[in-house]
Amino acid sequence: MDLVESYLNAVAKALPEEQRADIISELSEDIRSEMEERQKVLGRPLTEEEQEGLLKKRGNPWLLAARYRQDHRSVAFGRQIIGPVLYPFYVKVLSFNLGLTFLIVGIIFLALRLAGQKISVGDMVSTCTLQFFIQFGVVTLIFSVVEKHLTKHPDRWHIKGMGGKFRLDLNIERDFQVRMGQACMRQARMGSHMREVSRFESVSIIVALAVALVWWSSVQSHPFLIFGPAAALFNLAPIWHQIYFPIVVLTDLEIVRAIINLVRPDWTQFRAIARVILQAGGLAVMWFAIKAGSWVMVANPAADAAGKYAQVAHIVNQCLVYVFVSAAIFSGAMIIFRITELVRWRRWHAGPRNVGSAAKEGN
Amino acid sequence: MTPGTDNHELFENLRLELRRGSLVLAVLAALRKEHYGYTLRKTLSERGMAIDEGTLYPLLRRLESHGLLVSEWREEDKRNKRFYKLSADGKEIFKQLMAEWQSISTSLNGML
Repeated sequence: MDLVESYLNAVAKALPEEQRADIISELSEDIRSEMEERQKVLGRPLTEEEQEGLLKKRGNPWLLAARYRQDHRSVAFGRQIIGPVLYPFYVKVLSFNLGLTFLIVGIIFLALRLAGQKISVGDMVSTCTLQFFIQFGVVTLIFSVVEKHLTKHPDRWHIKGMGGKFRLDLNIERDFQVRMGQACMRQARMGSHMREVSRFESVSIIVALAVALVWWSSVQSHPFLIFGPAAALFNLAPIWHQIYFPIVVLTDLEIVRAIINLVRPDWTQFRAIARVILQAGGLAVMWFAIKAGSWVMVANPAADAAGKYAQVAHIVNQCLVYVFVSAAIFSGAMIIFRITELVRWRRWHAGPRNVGSAAKEGN
Repeated sequence: MTPGTDNHELFENLRLELRRGSLVLAVLAALRKEHYGYTLRKTLSERGMAIDEGTLYPLLRRLESHGLLVSEWREEDKRNKRFYKLSADGKEIFKQLMAEWQSISTSLNGML
């Protein structure tokens, strides 16, 4: 994909679907005509920088697309918080988040109901209301920050960074090949982990973790969500209640990290550092869990067949040792890998800066 | 913000407002002859009415949706281009707008 396509893609995403193809064809024709004319004047093909310059002159793709839209709705509480440019994205993200959250909450409650758990309409309404306010608050806050940035700095955008799906990453590797030779390709590949954080990834993480938090909180009082029908026989060991709060804190921090990266996808170093810290926190929690030695226990030790169930719980606990130890080893290896990657990237970044656009990455 | 920058911003806003109305007339005038977007932009620019594409194309769409322009996609130089020209209604409205413009211009010239 070339720069023009990247730019047009970014514009297309913000256009109404029914006019999209038509507008993009016309805009594409206009851009190519302008580029051809410029090439004729210069007597040579335009460089990437020159192409980028011409596209930059056309302005931010989202602002350009907004001019075509008839819909000028916005969100305002006294003053405008989210303007017409971001409004369609805001509605899409909020609908997606709320839809997915309500669907999963509905499935959880349905499963509990089918398992014979007592679920009142009040429980469901209060959970849904809480989720609504969390999602509405978080999404509105994020978009209001983006709106403020867009209003203040309408010209701060990069063609290479627009649209989320950047095929132009390949160009960075090509530049390395040409300018620095094969030896640097290893570092360029390493740098691929430090590319801009995709907004889709950030939104997915926020939604998934918000849902995981609901599930994790529900599991504490409804073990059915883990054990299924066997919840009548088994229960979670006390260690799960002890590590409940640290897990909630780590999950919240990861959500905050994803929100920050949603607003600042270019803060790749921040993501790398936050991941190491959070993964280290996760490893510490895992260490406490492993030390406990027992994670599943018999729900009613006084029952007739309690001895038989205790044996089953013992086998499950034995299996879980291997699961937790493997997870801890994997997590430790990931931390080492991420630290090494971060150190190498920082060293490379601190070195001679003759690699053009690649040097723009990170924060 | 200083009074100087305030005045500059105010002037810019008023200038844009003044131009906005005349741009419609300029576009309609240019489209008495058929053009596609890029050549229309160039024609306007050469005549001292430079207009950026982010303003021109939405304006063309709006004028077309009001029935003042007709357009068609056609191949030229092996590329598909959208050609615009005045519709019958557009010609009529243009005549009226031009008369209005001349009347405003005469009045203003008398005052300035």
